[in-house]
Amino acid sequence: MGTTNIKIKDFLNGDKNMTRLLIVFAAVFALCSLTKGSMFLSTSNFQSMGKQFPEFGLLSIGMALALFTGGIDLSIVYIATLSSVIIARLLPLMVTETATDGTAYMMVIVCFILAIAVGIICGMLNGFIISKVGIPPILATLGTQALFQGFAIVITGGSTISGFPIQLSTMVNKLVFGIPVTVIVFIICAIVVGFILARTTLGRQLRMLGTNPKATEYTGLNNVKLTMTSYMMSGILASIAGIIMIGRFNSAKADYGASYTMQAILIAVMGGIDPNGGKGNIQGVAIAIIIIQMVSSWLNMFENVSNFYRQIIWGGLLIFILIFNYVINVREKKAAMKK
Amino acid sequence: MKKRLLSMVLVFAMVASLTVGCGSSGKTKSTSAEGEKTEAAAKKDGDAASGENKEGENWKIAVVVKDLSNGWFARMETGITKFAKDTGLNAYMKGPSATDAAQQVQVIQDVISQDIDALCVVPVDPAACEPVLKEARDKGIVVITHEGSTVENCDYDLEAFNNAGYGGFIMDKLAEAMGEEGVYTTMVAHLTNASQNEWADGAVACQKEKYSKLTLLEGLKRVESENNSEKAYEVAKEVLKKYSDVKGFVGTSSMDTPGIARAINELGLKDKVFVVGTGMPNECRQLIKNGSLSYITLWDPAEAGYAMCVMARMVLEGQKIEEGTNLGLDSYKSLVVDPSNPKVLMGAGWISINKDNVDEYDF
Repeated sequence: MGTTNIKIKDFLNGDKNMTRLLIVFAAVFALCSLTKGSMFLSTSNFQSMGKQFPEFGLLSIGMALALFTGGIDLSIVYIATLSSVIIARLLPLMVTETATDGTAYMMVIVCFILAIAVGIICGMLNGFIISKVGIPPILATLGTQALFQGFAIVITGGSTISGFPIQLSTMVNKLVFGIPVTVIVFIICAIVVGFILARTTLGRQLRMLGTNPKATEYTGLNNVKLTMTSYMMSGILASIAGIIMIGRFNSAKADYGASYTMQAILIAVMGGIDPNGGKGNIQGVAIAIIIIQMVSSWLNMFENVSNFYRQIIWGGLLIFILIFNYVINVREKKAAMKK
Repeated sequence: MKKRLLSMVLVFAMVASLTVGCGSSGKTKSTSAEGEKTEAAAKKDGDAASGENKEGENWKIAVVVKDLSNGWFARMETGITKFAKDTGLNAYMKGPSATDAAQQVQVIQDVISQDIDALCVVPVDPAACEPVLKEARDKGIVVITHEGSTVENCDYDLEAFNNAGYGGFIMDKLAEAMGEEGVYTTMVAHLTNASQNEWADGAVACQKEKYSKLTLLEGLKRVESENNSEKAYEVAKEVLKKYSDVKGFVGTSSMDTPGIARAINELGLKDKVFVVGTGMPNECRQLIKNGSLSYITLWDPAEAGYAMCVMARMVLEGQKIEEGTNLGLDSYKSLVVDPSNPKVLMGAGWISINKDNVDEYDF
């Protein structure tokens, strides 16, 4: 009886969050269309937005995973850059001038797989330090952030690496029926992670871990393994973001994307992931990503509005949503107590 | 619940209308219709050379800088705003709120899908911008870069000056401060830094040519500050102790100049030893005012911003940009083509700041 009750409430809760987000989404969309109609609703604007959001979108989903289990991953951007500089170093070695088009594409894919392996290793290291050594996530990932960035700096010598085989950027910047291929990658990743969290045993266990790690331990779940899996998934998403970044910029450097960390946290929280863990879903995060992208592109359409307004609006939105969620939570608790 | 949702939508609408309000108040001519543009294109060959803006030539020029939170670019924006006012064209500045190549590419990606005719970029990282600049050019957008002489996907790159010329300018100012006689030496951040050593070489070459009573310190022709003001201060002190005849310093990095000035000030050598070199007005203001720093030299970002827009407009109007082209600004009235890269054009955009005019610059 008790469990079904909780389940229904969880479902409604997620649903309410979705309703809120969808309303914000609709409001933002309407606002953008009304104020900058012809420009905002153009194909080229949608393509432009589509080229922009996958890289920080994937980082946001990775961040959401970490927050979901009650942690945080401050190293996520640096996992992405480390993956991309490793591709940057390996690819020119693997693709020689005489290589045919086909082998070049093969080698690019091999490099992508290696980059994802880097993401897995970095993520597992995070999970290991957090769960096995027992260092709080915020400190552990702050440490690994410095570590990964350090590696990236050593590998690049601090400078920009460019001059890759053309196949790399061709592959990442492809349009499939007018849709950037990166958007498709993003959608696939979002669906896979969303499915894992919502429909699998692993997802349920992660949710429990996020809600109460002590309880999961006493029920016989392996917290170490769960934490490592979760951070490993974040690492994979980060390295895919890194692949997108190297393709879009056709170059790699240890500090590309350095400002994405805060943005990723903001989006995850805005998308309804509870920073205390255990609550939220990926659908919400995906909508938050698109909202943020719309607001940011829209603000760039005003010639005389400084980008600082974007910061103000984001900051304002975040605080608003945090307070809003908090108030709702308190209310629900009270309502539950009355029963 | 309904009330909450309503209030949320309202708050959102309020924030949004606030931003819209700010936007529309300052906007100039955004009513450019497609028809006008084609008309402008049709007659661009005819009256391109005239300075006045003709009806219908409503070009939209976007300038994307490295970082909006940096005073350097706030200064650049004044130049761009002035250009917009002078010409009646729609020229404006955008940029990320943090110096991050990835964020800058996002901003460029946005503006190039917003019906602009020309894009001017001060790249955080030239390599990272290449793909998006190529995309811009494929759309027919004119691309001008500044401080990005390695960029390939641009129509032209505008540099404030050529390195030897800037060195000569520093030397002219130093000679003036020293009364055209005495011993001097040069300081660079690192002996391996290409542009700073070219500045220093230019200064020395200028002295050899013009100032026969000035001599380069034989024992120590060039010292290193490691781009650190503290180190510059120590090195300058050592030099002054060891070689009491040194009367002047050429500083090249913006860290050298204030460091040397502090050493002069502390050793009580004001008005006996002089330093001229690259520096930022806000960092050096105190030292300039107390007389330990004779002149700082630099290029004015406002002029660079203005010049980029002029250049973009000239390309849009089909004018050729070549050796000797005049951008209508004193410091960019006769451009010089870089012999190693014909796309790179250099002005004479240096300025000097002393205690008389330091308060005019705030960056």
